Amino acid sequence: MSIHVKTAIDAIKRSPFQAISAVFVLALTFFVATIVSILVFSSNALLSYFETRPQIIAFLKSDTANEAVSVLQNKLTLDTRIKDVKYVSKETALEIYKKVTEDNPLLAELVSPSIFPSSLEFSVTDLKLAEQVINDVKSEAIVEQVGFTANIGGEKSLRDVVERLKAISYYIRIGGIVFVSVLGMTSFLVLLVIISMRMSTRKGEIEILNLIGATPTFIRTPIILEGVIYSIMGVFIGWTTSLILCLYLAPSILSYFGQISVIPKEPISFFVLFGTILGVELAIGLLIALTGSLIAVKRSLTKVK
Amino acid sequence: MIVFNNVSKSFGSINALDNISFEIKAGEFVFLTGPSGSGKTTILKMILRDILPDSGKVLFDNTDITEISLRDVPFLRQQMGIVFQDFKVLSERTVSENVEVALAVTNVSEDQWKSRVKHVLKLVGLASRAKLFPSQLSGGELQRVSLARALVVNPKLILADEPTGNLDWKTAEGIMELLEKINKEGKTIIMATHHEGIIKHAKHRIINLDDGKITKS
Repeated sequence: MSIHVKTAIDAIKRSPFQAISAVFVLALTFFVATIVSILVFSSNALLSYFETRPQIIAFLKSDTANEAVSVLQNKLTLDTRIKDVKYVSKETALEIYKKVTEDNPLLAELVSPSIFPSSLEFSVTDLKLAEQVINDVKSEAIVEQVGFTANIGGEKSLRDVVERLKAISYYIRIGGIVFVSVLGMTSFLVLLVIISMRMSTRKGEIEILNLIGATPTFIRTPIILEGVIYSIMGVFIGWTTSLILCLYLAPSILSYFGQISVIPKEPISFFVLFGTILGVELAIGLLIALTGSLIAVKRSLTKVK
Repeated sequence: MIVFNNVSKSFGSINALDNISFEIKAGEFVFLTGPSGSGKTTILKMILRDILPDSGKVLFDNTDITEISLRDVPFLRQQMGIVFQDFKVLSERTVSENVEVALAVTNVSEDQWKSRVKHVLKLVGLASRAKLFPSQLSGGELQRVSLARALVVNPKLILADEPTGNLDWKTAEGIMELLEKINKEGKTIIMATHHEGIIKHAKHRIINLDDGKITKS
């Protein structure tokens, strides 16, 4: 083991309570940071779901040939304002109707596929483009009528939902950033105080090392390593705790939100998300440790007269 | 090896060194003597580049050490071994770790540490104390640890600031025997002391200081 690592570990062992407090504060910071990151991801997923769910239905004239439908479908697919174009035949429309009215089978028996128009369903990439897209689609020859889910469900309510989600997402982001920043600053200050205390208790040792020819890097390294050890431990404890919490709550969350992937359903995507968060947190943790330790060391190191 | 050329240093109104000049050749054993406050430690600190003179030059191996940058000071010190009156050993490290630190500081590769530490501890008579902590050692043993740490890096020059100051006569004699042995191996030794018995017994060159001036050289 390198003499610097050994010195850092010895220093941690000598003052376990300082070490515990530093790791605890850092772990709390990174636990909250992980949870906030997941909340931001979830609110984005929720917002994206509501923004991009099929919103526009172009009902086609009953005598439309399949080729004409394909042409329009291709045209819509190539339109950059439009996504997720889906063709719903008369038969499929009947199936959907039957499903919706399964509580009352009599209603389904009374209808035949011919009374349902075939349609093309799609969503817009941005809700602001909806009106323009509707007008364009209305002008198509094979289109009988265009329905907008906002009209069907109430334009106001759909826009309200999206606006409300946007506001929630914004507040989660801003609140999260403020909260994590306050905790991050607290961690930084705790680290600064602990490293300064360490420098103070090692004053005699530093003086001796100086006199026997130790370079400033040699003197600084174990002290900075100590900060880095606290930081890495804090990141792993905070991150692992939030991972366990998310794994525990994932089934309930996924079941509550149904088809909306507020957290990734695929295990690989789930761990990629957490892996990314871990990577970013390690980078931030190292930044906090290096900055805090270097400032503390710089303030404390004696200079040659 | 060491040249002081018209060196003066004052701390406020006190003249620690007053225009002193002397030369110490490689392989010499020189005593810096004089009463407390006469300037002995100031000279050692200047050689270590721990303090700078107000005027004059201090040469070490023909390099004016007052001119070297702060960045190069550690490399200057790595060429010297220092022994202090108050031992200055690292209290939370064992005897062998205290010696190893000097090797780590000078970037000696770790595979050489064991043999060099063993050799130097045997030389100072502390081989059996290698795993003990400073709190478990006597004053004489602590000074031997300090000496072992100074010697392990194979320095050109050893600076000893009152190394026998805190020791009884018998123990001081043991330390002096070690320093004589090291000097015979070709190391230059500059030792600040006001221990009359040792000075008379050792019969080496004396630079006597009084009130910052050299009275005998």
